[in-house]
Amino acid sequence: MLKIIIPTIMLIPLTWLSKNSMIWINTTTHSLVITLISLPLLNQFNDNSLNLSTMYFSDSLSTPLLMLTMWLLPLMIIASQFHLIKESPTRKKLYITMLISLQIFLVMTFTATELIMFYILFEATLVPTLIIITRWGGQTERLNAGLYFLFYTLVGSLPLLIALIHLQNSTGSLNMLLAQYWSEPLKTSWSDTILWLACMMAFMVKMPLYGLHLWLPKAHVEAPIAGSMVLAAILLKLGGYGMLRITTMLTPITSFMAYPFLMLSLWGMIMTSSICLRQTDLKSLIAYSSVSHMALVIVAVLIQTPWSFMGATALMIAHGLTSSMLFCLANSNYERTHSRTMILARGLQTMLPLMAAWWLLASLTNLALPPSINLIGELFVVMSTFSWSSISIILMGINIVITALYSLYMLIMTQRGKQTHHINNLPPSYTRENTLMTMHLLPLLLLSINPKIILGTLY
Amino acid sequence: MSAWRLRVKLRSATGLLVSTRPTQRHTSPYGPLTLCRSLSTGSHLRNEFFKDLEAQLAAFRKKAADALPGSSWSPLQINPNLPPERADIVIVGGGVLGWSIAYWLKQKEMVRGGVRVLVVEKDPTEHLGVLNEDPVDLQFNQSGYLFLASEEVAHIMEENYSTQRYAGAKVSLLSPTQLKQKFPWLNTDGVVLASYGLENEGWFDPWTLLNAFRRKAISMGVIQCCGEVTDFKYTTDVLRTASGDTVDLKRIGSVKVQMPNSLEYQPVECAIVVNAAGAFSGKLTEMLGIGSGPKDSIAGIPLPVEPRKRYVYVVHCPDGPGLDSPFLIDYSGVYFRREGLGGNYIAGVSPEEAEEPDTSNLEVDYQFFEEKVWPCLAHRVPAFEKLKVTSAWAGFYDYNTFDQNGIIGIHPLINNMYLATGFSGHGLQHSPAVGRAVAELILDGNFKTIDLSNFSFRRILTQEPMLEINIV
Repeated sequence: MLKIIIPTIMLIPLTWLSKNSMIWINTTTHSLVITLISLPLLNQFNDNSLNLSTMYFSDSLSTPLLMLTMWLLPLMIIASQFHLIKESPTRKKLYITMLISLQIFLVMTFTATELIMFYILFEATLVPTLIIITRWGGQTERLNAGLYFLFYTLVGSLPLLIALIHLQNSTGSLNMLLAQYWSEPLKTSWSDTILWLACMMAFMVKMPLYGLHLWLPKAHVEAPIAGSMVLAAILLKLGGYGMLRITTMLTPITSFMAYPFLMLSLWGMIMTSSICLRQTDLKSLIAYSSVSHMALVIVAVLIQTPWSFMGATALMIAHGLTSSMLFCLANSNYERTHSRTMILARGLQTMLPLMAAWWLLASLTNLALPPSINLIGELFVVMSTFSWSSISIILMGINIVITALYSLYMLIMTQRGKQTHHINNLPPSYTRENTLMTMHLLPLLLLSINPKIILGTLY
Repeated sequence: MSAWRLRVKLRSATGLLVSTRPTQRHTSPYGPLTLCRSLSTGSHLRNEFFKDLEAQLAAFRKKAADALPGSSWSPLQINPNLPPERADIVIVGGGVLGWSIAYWLKQKEMVRGGVRVLVVEKDPTEHLGVLNEDPVDLQFNQSGYLFLASEEVAHIMEENYSTQRYAGAKVSLLSPTQLKQKFPWLNTDGVVLASYGLENEGWFDPWTLLNAFRRKAISMGVIQCCGEVTDFKYTTDVLRTASGDTVDLKRIGSVKVQMPNSLEYQPVECAIVVNAAGAFSGKLTEMLGIGSGPKDSIAGIPLPVEPRKRYVYVVHCPDGPGLDSPFLIDYSGVYFRREGLGGNYIAGVSPEEAEEPDTSNLEVDYQFFEEKVWPCLAHRVPAFEKLKVTSAWAGFYDYNTFDQNGIIGIHPLINNMYLATGFSGHGLQHSPAVGRAVAELILDGNFKTIDLSNFSFRRILTQEPMLEINIV
């Protein structure tokens, strides 16, 4: 794993020592090359994990997420080029440094063996994200957004620290690989119940669970494009990854402890999907759609069946790519019209046809069109939830319909219809933007040919 | 020493206790001494110490900011009067048209909070209002308009009459004898024909209308800002026509709003700018370079709106025409109407082209009344020979020098500036309709209720005036 981490750390001197004209080129190409280094990790030769050292390991759950993280860094850098044009070179380098340090923490988080190291890096990812949101965000509301983001996550994860220290004391080790074999079943006592809650709440806030999701629309809307991309694509998945790892140690009380969260998620995904139908702000719509998709993942992780775990991991990767792509598309709109309101920029298909093609594909994957991996994830989750309880099919069905509704609503509102008068002279799509969309779409579409890579440990 | 301290504490403690709610007394088992703070959360209970601390902290922060060099970035909002950093639609001009457009934009958005609208007004002294809950009473006086026509313009009046009847307006044509019967105080000398509005015609209180639009718009979420738009930040796209000439298309990125009497400004990033600046719309478009191109190109045609000063005089004449007097407009251009019920009248006239008053200030010229208005008034209504000017004011018409009619629509060279100006004194009566039309243009993409495409900027480019006959 050091072969990934050290080059990523060295990206920082690369940024600071580059010539001003070469900042973007250097960082983009080098981060792309580092992505290639992570490809060999896909060669998982047994059902266990690839233990690279005592501190780092990778298995078929963390590898897709790790690759998604690394793939996203060049994309984030490409997407940020436009809105940083007017900044001084030092500020640009600082921004890229924030992105790179976030990347370092994320790489280490997804491959950490020790749960305490996972926790420390989980918290450490908050710092660069907060800096990106509050310093480079668009409006004054970004301060409020940063506050919500920081404190929701901190308050949720402090109990996790205490729980982890207690587990270290009682079992002697927090090594994730050993913990699945060494952990004792939890009893139905108060202390074990609270231990369960303490372990899970941090990830519930991060996912986010429906009742604790207030930070997400704020943070996603106020963050600059790279911030939105990394938030939607990776940071939410940290919660899912953490839940998937820690539920192995929390049996068997999960069977009844999970009920409140299951109910909240099942109801919450319909609620947030419905809110999407009434949104006027494009980024806000995509943010709420993230909550809705992640609610599916929460349901899948909590019912703990093999198919649901497969669905959860597939959905996480698929949603990461789709959501990030939607944010990039919304940003391309914003850069041209200086407004995130949907009704003010309509009928873009006639003006920017290629961008309309990307919009179409992104919306179609967002509504889980077959044969994309979004569908695989959602289908697995729906089927396993149905086997867990027959009535949930009604809720899941309603959610799928409403997801299709708002995805198409977003597509039709921005692309079709009569154009508004004030967009009759937009700059055409830059090659950079088209590259960005292609790089999002290519993995998404190619993975539908071989989805077993992303189906996680239980495939 | 300690006894003194105890006594001081006791005094402050009882002082605090006395100043709290008199109904409830908090007593602790150790007596009132130890309970220096009660449990209520009123602000007057805050300890002096904390108040001082806050003041000192603010002073320290200020001192640190002054001492340290560096960026002016501060997470605290310094001036609450500044407009927001971003708005979707910025309406420049908070007159009746501007607020009408704001109101209709909010009315037409399908979801609450759909579009973020900001209205920037330079001079709010006329637009301060008091919120009240009564339904809006525009004080519409239905006394009708009475246009008088001389020999030369009588045929125009007849044409207008047939147009108006066709459109459904209840107007009637009167001969001089009928006029004399109806309005005995009128001197029908030189009058050949008169047009009198019978129903639904009259005048209302413009101040009330403006305030009604404004209050409603603000209640629906429009942000108001008192400031002046001094600059635009725009991006230029240079296109080439078929014949090889270059055309610069501009897109406004942000509007610089300057605070009144201060150097402070706020750039407001926006998607659309609506130019409802009235008399100063021409100046606004000049900031974008309209009118400063080569003479034979589109960029060389300025927006033909300039301020024209008009005087309005309030006169008192106890023996005047009385309560049934309409808004009378003579063929010479002199007009008067009744104001209130106390024998007051409002009168004025549009000056000749050659005698336009100076537009650098809003001072009233009473000499103008003596020379131009009074003789005609006295000739037309003999009772007005004895009148007294009680007060007067001056205002600017957003005078369209091209054809004195409004310009509505997008400017061809600026991608996101909508024009709604140049109504030359008719802005008030057009305001609800134009507001709705511009809101439809912005949100729906084209006119829906009434097609006002004849009012677009195109006619100025093709130099085809759309004149209205018989205007005041």
